Parts: sequence; structure tokens; C-alpha cells
Amino acid sequence: MSIDVEQVAAVPAPPEAFPEIIGWTQACMAVRSVLSLNTPVHLRMYIQGHEPLLIDFRHHAFSWSTPLEQFPVDAVHTGLETVPTGPDAPPFFELPGQNLDELLWEMGMHSFDGGPAFWMTPGERYHLTRWPNLNHHSHDLRQVQMIAVLGNGYASPAELAAFAGVELHEAQRLINALSLMRILVRSAAAPAPEVAPPTAAQKKQSLFARLRKRIGR
Amino acid sequence: MAEHVILFTGPMGAGKTTAIRSLSEIEVVSTEAGNSERHIVDKATTTVALDYGEIVIGSDDKVRLYGIPGQKRFNFMWTILKKRAKGMVLLVNTDAPDPIGELTFFLEEFRELYDRGGVVVGVTRSDVLDGPSLDDFHEALERTNPGLVIPVFTVDPRESSQMQNMLLALVVNIEMRAAFGAVPAVAG
Repeated sequence: MSIDVEQVAAVPAPPEAFPEIIGWTQACMAVRSVLSLNTPVHLRMYIQGHEPLLIDFRHHAFSWSTPLEQFPVDAVHTGLETVPTGPDAPPFFELPGQNLDELLWEMGMHSFDGGPAFWMTPGERYHLTRWPNLNHHSHDLRQVQMIAVLGNGYASPAELAAFAGVELHEAQRLINALSLMRILVRSAAAPAPEVAPPTAAQKKQSLFARLRKRIGR
Repeated sequence: MAEHVILFTGPMGAGKTTAIRSLSEIEVVSTEAGNSERHIVDKATTTVALDYGEIVIGSDDKVRLYGIPGQKRFNFMWTILKKRAKGMVLLVNTDAPDPIGELTFFLEEFRELYDRGGVVVGVTRSDVLDGPSLDDFHEALERTNPGLVIPVFTVDPRESSQMQNMLLALVVNIEMRAAFGAVPAVAG
């Protein structure tokens, strides 16, 4: 099944007409579409077993009764509504809500089955423009290491995975999330990183590795 | 034993002493005195010399955590300590009189530390509704230091796990900057 993602924001779909979709890939596409086109809409997602998830893009906020610590990776989406809004319209829900980046991190990490997001092109390298607010995202320290690589140079998912010693899909999930949060730039022409993946001895010597071990992370 | 000096800087009241207490595995040595600037920050005492804590890693490494006084009249201390430091945790509280101004002031003051090591910024008291947002801090950094990708997190200095996130992000970023040739190679 496919949907024309460019039209998602423009054509409201009544919940009852929406086919059930498992996972967050289609939701990511809808969010990406709204953010990319700067469409003046809110989003309301219907998810089986949960209260509706509301997104107010103008205030970069969301409202959902489900805590993100219990993020349902295999959520069954039963509806996606766009709600037109404008610069003078009231917020979609009582502000401040929660920071939208916290939701986008989880959505990006749990979409596309670990493959590249549909808006990405093979052969591209990526560079970070802002660090994500790690104190508000569940993360592990290999992801921190990969974020540091992206903050200091351009890397493809494969280069990133090799550098951090993780599976390709782990690097790709991180890139998907950062891309959805719009804190990556990409370039097909960017040079490859000039550093080789650290050797086992280098890893052992790393203060980061020793500190990480010392504080039990 | 290799020693790694990390400075904790920022304006008075940003949470530097608390942050070091959250990280240190020894009883923190603090030198505090009555606050003579209560018209600026309403706290009874403030750091006049420095706070000191440490984390020992096996028999090879010691991470020394120095909190330095936020008042500009103590900047002679800054000069001494920044020469020894490898990295900096800059804490800025959103309820300071001019938080964005404090961010840019301290970054400029300690720019050499960024150039040869690394910096991470912690925004404290981010629940203050009228204070600047995290985006405001990012935009100020991008405006005043274009091209630098400095980690900026909201943080509660009382939370050890959040302070550990900041310290680990600082250390890995210093190492990665060295690996990419942006700073001299990190010893130890």
C-alpha cells in the first residue's frame, strides 16, 4: 500500500476511511511532508489503544497522554487527520505541551524498518547542525559517539556504522531520526571522513570508553 | 596518572556547585562565602574561589572537576585554570538577568578552551516560562559562532544521570574533534 505523501497534508482523511497501518513509517512521512512544505496544518493521529496524538507544528509541540517512555513501537494507526490552522489561530491544545523533537526522535528511530527514510538518497553523507537535547531523548552511548562523528564531519550511514562499530541499521535509524528533526544537512559531494574507525587498542585508550565504563553506562 | 581537567563555568546561580556534587565521587571541596550581590542573585552564599570534585578511573586516570566563580571580578582565577583545562561545561540559567548575554560572554572568554578541547552548554532552570528557549540558545550560538556545533542540553544539575550525559558528550566530542584534526590529539 502506498500513499501520496505530498498530498497527506492537503487532503484530510476521515478516520473511518483510513486503513490500519502498523508502525510509524507513514506517520513520519506525513510529519516530514508538513515540515518540508511548511503547511499550515496541525496533525491528529489516531492510534489503537491510545488517546489521539496531537501535533502543533507552529508551536513545535505535541500532546499525548501516552508517556514517551512507553512509546508503542508497533502502534496500530487507524487515522490521520490534518486540521487547517493559520498564524492567528489558537494553539491546537493547551501549551506548552511537550517538545516535538522528543516525539520525532522516537518516531525516526522506529520507522522504515531500519532502512533509509524515503526522502534520503543513496550515496549521500550527512553532517549535524545542532546536537539533539540528549537529556530528553532515550539514547545509548554508541549513539552519542555517532552524533559526535556527525557533528565534526560528514559521514554516510555505512561509514558511521563502521566508525562506531554498530550494525548499519542502527546508524541508519539515528540518521533517520536526526533528519526528521531537521538537524542534519546532506551532501553527495562531501568528502569522506579522514579518520579510520578506531582500533580495539584505541578504543581501550579512549577516555570516553573508560569513563563510560567507570560510571556504568 | 593522567589528569583531565574539566572546568564548570557560567554565571552565579547557574548550578555549577550542584553539578559538580552530582558528578564527583569524593566529597566536594567548596569554598563559599556570603553573597555580596544579592541584588543580582538571591542566594545566601556563592563560590568565591572554586569547587573541586573528581572521578577516578582505575589506576590510570583522574578527571578533575573545577567549578570556578561566576562573578567577573574573579576572572584572575579563570586565567589560571583555563590553561590547564581540557574541556568546559558551561551552565547558564534561564532566569539570569541576561542568559543569552551570559552564554556569549563566557564562550568568548573561554574560546581558547573550545579551540583546543571542547565545550558543552547546559541550560538550567529551563522550566522558567518567560526565559529563552533552547532554540534561542542555539540561534545565539549560530549567530555569534557560525560553524561551531556545540552540544546544548537542558539540564537539572541535581540529576546525576543528566550531568553524566553532559560530561560524556563533552569527552566524546573532544576525542572526535581530535580524530578529525580540529584540535590537537588527546593524550591519555
